[in-house]
Amino acid sequence: MLANKPPYLGFGLGLRPQHYEEILSGNPAVDWFEVISENYMIPGGQPLRILDQIRERYPVVMHGVSLSIASTAPLDTDYLGALKTLADRVEPKWISDHLCWTGVHGVNLHDLLPIPYTEEALDHVVDRVGQVQDFLGRRLTLENVSSYVTFGQSEMTEWEFVSEVAKRADCWLLFDVNNVYVSAFNHGFSTDDFLHGVPRDRVVQFHVAGHSHEESHIIDTHDHPVCPEVWDFYRETATHFGPVSTMIERDDNIPPLAELVEELDHARQIAREVRESAQRTAAE
Amino acid sequence: MTSLKELQESFQAGILAGDDTILGEVKDSAREQRTVLFGVYRNAYVARLAEILGNDYEQVHAYLGDAGFAKLVKAYIAANPSDQRNARWFGRCFPEFAHATMPFADHREVGEIAALEKALSDAFDGPDAQPLAIADLATLPAEDWPRLTFRPHPTAIRLTFDTNATTIWSALKSETDPPKPQRLPEPQALLVWRQAFMARFRPIGAEEAMMWDEAVKGVRFGVLCEMVATFAGEDEAELRAATYLKGWIDSGLLAGCQVEDNPA
Repeated sequence: MLANKPPYLGFGLGLRPQHYEEILSGNPAVDWFEVISENYMIPGGQPLRILDQIRERYPVVMHGVSLSIASTAPLDTDYLGALKTLADRVEPKWISDHLCWTGVHGVNLHDLLPIPYTEEALDHVVDRVGQVQDFLGRRLTLENVSSYVTFGQSEMTEWEFVSEVAKRADCWLLFDVNNVYVSAFNHGFSTDDFLHGVPRDRVVQFHVAGHSHEESHIIDTHDHPVCPEVWDFYRETATHFGPVSTMIERDDNIPPLAELVEELDHARQIAREVRESAQRTAAE
Repeated sequence: MTSLKELQESFQAGILAGDDTILGEVKDSAREQRTVLFGVYRNAYVARLAEILGNDYEQVHAYLGDAGFAKLVKAYIAANPSDQRNARWFGRCFPEFAHATMPFADHREVGEIAALEKALSDAFDGPDAQPLAIADLATLPAEDWPRLTFRPHPTAIRLTFDTNATTIWSALKSETDPPKPQRLPEPQALLVWRQAFMARFRPIGAEEAMMWDEAVKGVRFGVLCEMVATFAGEDEAELRAATYLKGWIDSGLLAGCQVEDNPA
């Protein structure tokens, strides 16, 4: 067991403005919330006030989209400063972002762009994660992204790359179940190879989400309910890793809170079945 | 082997400029060609930024309709690659862009509707500050009033419009037919700010606008009263100035005041 591993939080949702009122006036069966860091990197007003109220009632984790950890552009110290200021206010259980880059030469393409899995990229990312962790004074959590292209120059698999980053930079991993499924389909690898290829003791969070199937490829749109195939892979994932904080991630076509809570209950049910099955096996 | 830096530059050029050099670095999948797969990134870039602008400028969208708004958005995205970590600020130059870009530049109300929407957004999540209350001034001796200076609420924004953009905005916001665009006989001054966590705006007259503009520069209340007298006559000038001031305080437009030490 690695030192200072973040606590298991149960089953959470992404905090979205459409649900603010219902969350604060009701008592939804949600164990914790994940907030998009950038949405609260603002001077003041209602969103920050609501975030303060939410964090008084629920554990909160921060999830960023602009760290650009794999970019060859210099680290953005203004961004890191704003991230740290927000973290000081929110006191999140952990801070995550994506194992990707978002732009170079001062441009932000507002997308999670793929990395070639090379020794050069590995050295670069490991060094940058170290710098960010030193700045934030805590371990970072990095998420595997969905990708649509592979690079001819790649020298290792994605899971080998992810694992090496986690071990060498000494960071945590956010295992996005849907992203593994999407990338496995797009690039023709086995989800099981990915699942068994990453270090179990590094994984602190799962994302489960929906996607758009375009027949020849899948796009990670987060605008649909989780599909049966991803639920099946979630079952395998939960079986392999054991209890890990799990979150339903929906960024578009956001349904009423009750629908997401229902999806979350489905995740709970699967995790319960996995646990009971493991207990039965252990007893036999 | 292409370095990581070169690869990322090429990838970015492939998205921003349609440069196909990057296609030499990526592979076809078993089911799809690389052009289609890389196209996912190209399409997502424009779609995501258009969505951001659509959220930030809902009434400009409603006013121009889908086709007109898409044209303006496409031109803006092409001219302004995002340099912001936070998508919240991507559209910050949209009003000026609309004013400067044909054919929208010929329709001044478009840029002004955009300016109003931007100001409302900026006020909505602008810095927090406790508003000045009437009670804060209640105990102030009468002789100190001329030496009072005021600090505006940090969310307060002053705009001046040449058209009836605010009327158009209000109609669109309430989903009714907007009036025809018009050039106003005199420019219309506006104040935009946040009160009780809501972004609001209020048209103000020329005299009040003059007094506001001077007050936020730190001009003392005694001098502001003299300026009001000069602007529209001495008759009840102090009362007019006090009325404007009370209106600002009641609306949460001020965040503080202080009595200056030295005589004016």
